[in-house]
Amino acid sequence: MSVEFGIIGQQLVNGLTLGGMYALLALGYTLVYGILLMINFAHAEMFMFGAYVGLFTLQGLSRIEFFTSSGPALLLLYVLTFLIAMVVTGILGVIIERFAYRPLRHAPRLAPLISAIGVSLFLQNAALLWISSRSIPFPVLFEVRTFRIAGANISSMQILIIVTTILLMLVLDTFVSRTRLGRAMRATSQDRDAAGLMGVDINRVIALTFFIGPALGGAAGIFSGMYYGNIKYNMGFIPGIKSFTAAVIGGIGNLRGAMLGGFLLGLLESLAAAYISTGYKDVIAFAILIVVLIFKPGGLLGESVAEKV
Amino acid sequence: MSVAKSKRLFAVIAMLTMLAMVVTACGGDNGADNGDGATGDLVEVKIGVSSPFTGDVAALGLGIRNGAQLAIEEVAPELEELGISLSMLAVDDAADPRTGVNAANQMVSDSAVVGIVGHLNSGVSIPASEVYNQAGVVQVSPASTNPALTLQGFENVFRVCTIDTVQGSFAAEYAYDELGLMSVAVIDDSTAYGEGLAAEFAAAFEAKGGEVVSTDKIQVKDVDFTALVTKINGASPDFIYFGGMYTEGALISKQAKEAGFEGPLMGGDGLYTQQFVDIAGAANAEGDFATSIGLPLSEQPKGQEFQAMFEERFPGETIEAYDTYGYDAAMVIIEAIKAVAADLGVDELTTVAGKQAIIEAVAATDFEGVTGAVAFDENGDTTNKAVTPYVVRDGAWISYTD
Repeated sequence: MSVEFGIIGQQLVNGLTLGGMYALLALGYTLVYGILLMINFAHAEMFMFGAYVGLFTLQGLSRIEFFTSSGPALLLLYVLTFLIAMVVTGILGVIIERFAYRPLRHAPRLAPLISAIGVSLFLQNAALLWISSRSIPFPVLFEVRTFRIAGANISSMQILIIVTTILLMLVLDTFVSRTRLGRAMRATSQDRDAAGLMGVDINRVIALTFFIGPALGGAAGIFSGMYYGNIKYNMGFIPGIKSFTAAVIGGIGNLRGAMLGGFLLGLLESLAAAYISTGYKDVIAFAILIVVLIFKPGGLLGESVAEKV
Repeated sequence: MSVAKSKRLFAVIAMLTMLAMVVTACGGDNGADNGDGATGDLVEVKIGVSSPFTGDVAALGLGIRNGAQLAIEEVAPELEELGISLSMLAVDDAADPRTGVNAANQMVSDSAVVGIVGHLNSGVSIPASEVYNQAGVVQVSPASTNPALTLQGFENVFRVCTIDTVQGSFAAEYAYDELGLMSVAVIDDSTAYGEGLAAEFAAAFEAKGGEVVSTDKIQVKDVDFTALVTKINGASPDFIYFGGMYTEGALISKQAKEAGFEGPLMGGDGLYTQQFVDIAGAANAEGDFATSIGLPLSEQPKGQEFQAMFEERFPGETIEAYDTYGYDAAMVIIEAIKAVAADLGVDELTTVAGKQAIIEAVAATDFEGVTGAVAFDENGDTTNKAVTPYVVRDGAWISYTD
């Protein structure tokens, strides 16, 4: 019996790891929707872009001998890699907002949507043509250990991903609920015009939103590269669709909803693959999600929380 | 904008489009004709080559093109004396059935194309073969191993590679008898190639007396197999057999080993590339097995000659799994072109009757290629049934017999 329990535990960890990546990416969709009521379809490419920047940073920095000389130095290397990749991806997000979305802010709502699809195609094809059409191996510079906990085999990579994901979410949650800028974000989300009249710099808040979302999406991309061992120009597409779904399930516009939705979708997918059928895992997961939406059209946390951010 | 203005604009755009088409068409022809300049006297004949030149399996596809190119360049001077200007028309199929059918249509619409070397993937070769059949052009696949390809009743479809029935049962015997592995979890990637290979393997393994503990399907482009490998780990079979390409195979190997699975992963020729080891990680891939069609290059009858020729023509590039098959497939068509040119005359080559004669000449092929003796049975399958097992040792595939 303990073997069975161990396997269930391991499947839950598999699901949480996958869900953590979905959740990080879902936050970007929900943040932008909360502020602009816009679905940023280019967000999936932030996942890919972050992974590539992470790979190049890691490759560049690991040439410096110091970083691979000791354990703490290696940790520093990874922290730096994440910081640089998140900042660069965040800046890309801000640039995209400035040139592809801001000029269309007062256009009909379909216009920025189409613009977003265009940016997505542009970024994907740029990576395809300028980098490679093939999968590129993503090196892991530390030894991945597998721990046996109560019959379940859990790798140090999974623990790292789940813990870091939760940490990033806590930081974001605190930022939005406790800081002045966070308050400005919430105000903008409730009523953009009124917030502007009260002295909130709307453009700055929107730019900030477009920095945070892509930065988190980029981090999810690096996790994906580290966990699966390779990255590719179209790697963002499927996680993008799933994370968007996760955001909707949680109640789009609601931060905690996106986190919940991401973890839920990851768990559903893993359990469906494990206990029903690998080929039909997406069908099953999405069927359950449709049922959830029939009974709670606003998403799981969509109605109970008044604030959108 | 007034009506007159927009009409004028339309006319300008139409003209530019036509100009662009003319320019690109010239570009294509230049590539084909260069070197002689006296095309007027020579009959222009082309061999179409289609396999993935972009995407994950591009290395294998480009290898096929390199092989075919070597064959065509080697015989071009000889054919020129016969009055034939032979060139290659290479079109990317991106390993995608739809792109592949478009590529097939593009190639057969050029009446100078008398034969096709292609495709890599069975899932692409099968739909494309219908196009070639309707156009009456011979197709020689260097690498599509699914048995169904040659069982469609098309007289124009051939292949120089060993089929999955042979490969699957070889793998089953090998695992059971040589490696002493008794139980297996079978996974396939839901493609014509992967599904076919895995089914052949599973049937042969059970016939041997082995136990198939589970069969699962995955989708191409999936990356997360942790749930699947955890489930398989729970049933603890001796090994995992995967029918599919290395992109998914490498991830399954990696995730299975990281989840604590101790047996090897085994698969077919789709895994036999260095990329498999690179993506899985050398430590995870260590001890994994693959069977691949034919003999290793070093044991192929003319392997060393091919290697010397390859290194001179493509310095710095490496020989992939199917380069010699691409070469032999092109040679099969070239031999047929020579035979028909001698029988009917060079002017008949690109006619409907000429192309039909080429199909018949290919069916009667009998020569010593790089990969061994090349001849076809009544279905169009090669009579060469060699399969070689490979294993990952110290981060690289080596022939298991070494």
